[in-house]
Amino acid sequence: MTDPISPRDDHSTTASNAGPTRPDGGNSTRADGGETQSRVFLEDGDAELDRGPLQRWVDDSIKNPDKVYRAMFYTAAIFFLVTTLFPFYWLLMVALTPEGQLSDIILTPNGFNPGAFIEVFQTIPFHWYVFNSFVIATASTVLVLVVGSLAGYAFGRLEFPAKVPLLLLVLVISFFPPAAFFIPLNDLFNTSFFILEPITGDGTLYNTPGAMVLPLSAIFMPLAIFILTTFYAQIPDGLEDAARVEGTTRLGALFRVIIPLSAPGVATAGVLTFIAVYNEFFFSFLMTDGQPESWAPLLEGILAYQGQYEVLYHLMAAASIIGVIPVAILVIVAQEKIVSGLTAGALKE
Amino acid sequence: MATDTDGEAVIGSERRSETDRTGNAVVNWMENLSEAAYAYLLLIPAFALLALIAFYPLIATFITSLRADQTRGAEPLGGFVGIDNYVDILTGNARLARQFIDVAFSTSFPFVEFGTPFLQQALFVTIGFAVISVFFETVIGFGQAYVLDQEFRGRRWVRVAIILPWAVPIVIQGMIFFLLFQPEVGFGTEVGQWLGIFGPNPLADSQDAFIIILVADIWKSSAFMALLILAGLQSVDRSLYDVARVAGATPWQRFKRITLPLVLPALLVAMLFRTMDAMRVYGLIESSVGCTTVPSLTCLVVEAMFGGTRIYATAAAVAFATALVIGLIISVYVVFFRDTEGGLY
Amino acid sequence: MAQVTLENVTKRYDDVTAVDDVSMEIEDGEFVTFVGPSGCGKSTTMETVAGLTKPTEGRVYIGDDDVTTLAPKDRGVAMVFQNIALFPHMDVYDNISFGLQLRTYEDEEIERRVEQAADIVQLEGMLDRMPDEMSGGQRQRVAIARAIVRNPDVFLMDEPLANLDAKLRVHMRTELQRLHRELGTTIIYVTHDQAEAMTMSDRIAVLNAGKLQQLAPPLVCYNEPANRFVAGFIGSPSMNFLEGELVDDGLETKNFTIGIDHDVVPGATIGDAITLGVRPEDVHLVEYADSLTDPTDRISARTDVLEPMGDEVFVYLLLADQAERSMDQDPASSPNQLLMSVTPDTDIQEEQSVDVVLDRSKIHIFETATGKSLAHGIVDRSDQESGPTATEAE
Repeated sequence: MTDPISPRDDHSTTASNAGPTRPDGGNSTRADGGETQSRVFLEDGDAELDRGPLQRWVDDSIKNPDKVYRAMFYTAAIFFLVTTLFPFYWLLMVALTPEGQLSDIILTPNGFNPGAFIEVFQTIPFHWYVFNSFVIATASTVLVLVVGSLAGYAFGRLEFPAKVPLLLLVLVISFFPPAAFFIPLNDLFNTSFFILEPITGDGTLYNTPGAMVLPLSAIFMPLAIFILTTFYAQIPDGLEDAARVEGTTRLGALFRVIIPLSAPGVATAGVLTFIAVYNEFFFSFLMTDGQPESWAPLLEGILAYQGQYEVLYHLMAAASIIGVIPVAILVIVAQEKIVSGLTAGALKE
Repeated sequence: MATDTDGEAVIGSERRSETDRTGNAVVNWMENLSEAAYAYLLLIPAFALLALIAFYPLIATFITSLRADQTRGAEPLGGFVGIDNYVDILTGNARLARQFIDVAFSTSFPFVEFGTPFLQQALFVTIGFAVISVFFETVIGFGQAYVLDQEFRGRRWVRVAIILPWAVPIVIQGMIFFLLFQPEVGFGTEVGQWLGIFGPNPLADSQDAFIIILVADIWKSSAFMALLILAGLQSVDRSLYDVARVAGATPWQRFKRITLPLVLPALLVAMLFRTMDAMRVYGLIESSVGCTTVPSLTCLVVEAMFGGTRIYATAAAVAFATALVIGLIISVYVVFFRDTEGGLY
Repeated sequence: MAQVTLENVTKRYDDVTAVDDVSMEIEDGEFVTFVGPSGCGKSTTMETVAGLTKPTEGRVYIGDDDVTTLAPKDRGVAMVFQNIALFPHMDVYDNISFGLQLRTYEDEEIERRVEQAADIVQLEGMLDRMPDEMSGGQRQRVAIARAIVRNPDVFLMDEPLANLDAKLRVHMRTELQRLHRELGTTIIYVTHDQAEAMTMSDRIAVLNAGKLQQLAPPLVCYNEPANRFVAGFIGSPSMNFLEGELVDDGLETKNFTIGIDHDVVPGATIGDAITLGVRPEDVHLVEYADSLTDPTDRISARTDVLEPMGDEVFVYLLLADQAERSMDQDPASSPNQLLMSVTPDTDIQEEQSVDVVLDRSKIHIFETATGKSLAHGIVDRSDQESGPTATEAE
């Protein structure tokens, strides 16, 4: 908190104007109290004659910039809220509008048809697509966390000669567009492997979750490794030694002590990976034939409402809202963790 | 189990012989590895996955890009042609529906000629998209992060609201903005026309569609910027602000002299991630205005590959050229990083 | 049987040798302290016993088993760490029982042992607390309980009291001794604090620069240090060292000469550079020389600074002129300074001329070049009983 500014200080006028931008009140009253305030009045004294409300507000603002900053803050906050939330609201309005009346929807639906949210599932098995996406995102997250934890532990807690080059190599992956990986991967996943036959039928990975889990894990793993490395590096050595003397193996110490203690970092990496995979477009679009029984994800479900002859806009909107719900819940639950997780990581960057 | 021996054990003994010391051979082998050997062992799964999914395809793509297209016959690829494919795409002679870049130099002002309209050339579309979107996302993201960094009632819910667009699947993002500007359903077209920036059918007009894509991306990705910048803001030591306040700094001065320099590393990392992402834009275009209207670099690759024209080598060349362009932009950032405190390792 | 044997243990890192050819045998039930300045290799040596560090060369035995390549968990050792290292995500009960749970003991057995261990370290009623709700001393007790609950063959303690405040440290010192008496387990204890080492151990292993300097009971290290390093490290304040030369009629230092027969310094011949060592409490004012059986000749000096400690007063004596005093030199090894310890009732002021004598039976002689100890006590003339007070037995 600000100390009351000494009146002897020549620069006190500016100083007192420099109140906090935070809208928590408190300070603003203090900033305009005391001798400094009267000096401002003296300077402005001559112009104190007839003024309109605007002028008064302007003068008031000059004397008390806190008010302006607070007003600016609220304006900005409301602006951001409206711009981010309006598309969702509008989408809901579209979903609620009955088919055939879809024109010029702005703030209210043309009619009221909540049945669209049921129709969504009747027209195509949309729940199946959501389920597929959920399985793919969960599997990728688990794979990324397990494999990324091993790598993050090595990068964060062990010393070895090739550490920096290997870490850079991992980061370089994220420089390439998915398209650069796609052609050979498409061939690879359409190649029949004998050992996969019992699992996938024809021995290829195309139309299986593997065709999405593997590339998506690889593409989002560098970020997870990066986050986990900074977290694991912060655990004191003594705890790991204690666990090993007490009876864990080296690997056991990682899973019993290091990972539980890095829970915020693991949660951050996990949530980021889950959302990234759930939202991904490229591989999700190209690695299946679009049928729900071929593990086509959410994305194909939404595009499926674009029929040959008509486009069911209201169902697309309803499906989109349903599709957002899982990640929205995740954001609500984990937002604090994500920010603090990234903050703790950023400290070491 | 514990058998007290010699009565000396106060608590119950644990002789080494009764512990599971024998374990199994693998565990014992792992316990005795040197630190470096153990590190490499732990890195094997990650690098095996990366090798299969990233390193191998990258190399294969590169090799494919050096061969000729073979539009007839059983073999999809022709012989080795060196960098011909790259030359073709850079000179606008590739067999692509839309060109990577199609610029010729001329003697008269402005000394360059576009073979096709500017916004039908993938390189310019993509770079233009990346530069403009990242600029606005940085500014807006900073604003959002600054709001979220303040203490106020209901901050939690404002934070959820601001972050939410970031969590929206790309296809849904595309859908929202497609519907908004779909003349039958949305009002976006009317607004655009009233403002005088849109023509009669914005979803089919390259320039209008480009703006729609920009708006859609800024809407979603500002939140990502805000998230990373917020992390940077929150790691700034609060007492520095008090010091500055006592020293008589105005809020603007505090922002310029304390916040900005301290957040700069986080800001640069966020901008780097966003630029890489924006350069790879595809899903948003595909699910809203379509690749025909706004052809991004990745659009070109996908069209070349699935367009039925069997120009796989050209597709590979475009893919790798895209990677090279991104790599080039990354190097620019890395030069920035070097001068910034902290940096990216 | 759980004696611990180190056989030529060496640990080399890229460019440093942390432990250099250390061999020792620690008896079953013995309390041995590794002591030395920081970086002397004491912790690394302990880690080779724990299994946290694999020696580059040499073998480690616990009991009759060669454990050199065994994982820490399989060695039957328990360890208490300097930073206490309680798992912050587990409550006290889970912390104490961590090792037992890993070994699939039955629940009742675990509970019985945890309660007994908590009883021993007086932690009853705190088992459901989290580590961050406890004081430093309580946390240290939990760490000790975690170690004793497994009733290991060997306890390893790596500066367990270093992070506690001075008062608690003294208290925990006696607690640990009581614990050792009760459990009778072999304990290896690492500290840089020579007072801890002196008070608690059966034997002290003094290490310096990765090498074992002396392994002996505390009083032997104190009275008969094996070399100049041990002499200087053990005892506070440190021993005075005065470099000199063995001459015809005695031992000549820069400012005085002590008459001795050179046969009392075996292995040295006239002209050899030797160092005289004498502890501050063995320097006496000449007035009290009568109480000594065998004082040296008087040495004249000036008092410099007095440091009253309450139970004693440290007097810094200048042997040469004021001008030759050099502040930058360690007083313990300056040829012109001598530290004397006197009782507080002694009538003495700063800047005063005094005459002092040394207790001949407490004078140590070291070879200057190697620091090797040549003699402990230079009892004069042949009629006295022969040589140093013979406590060669270990």
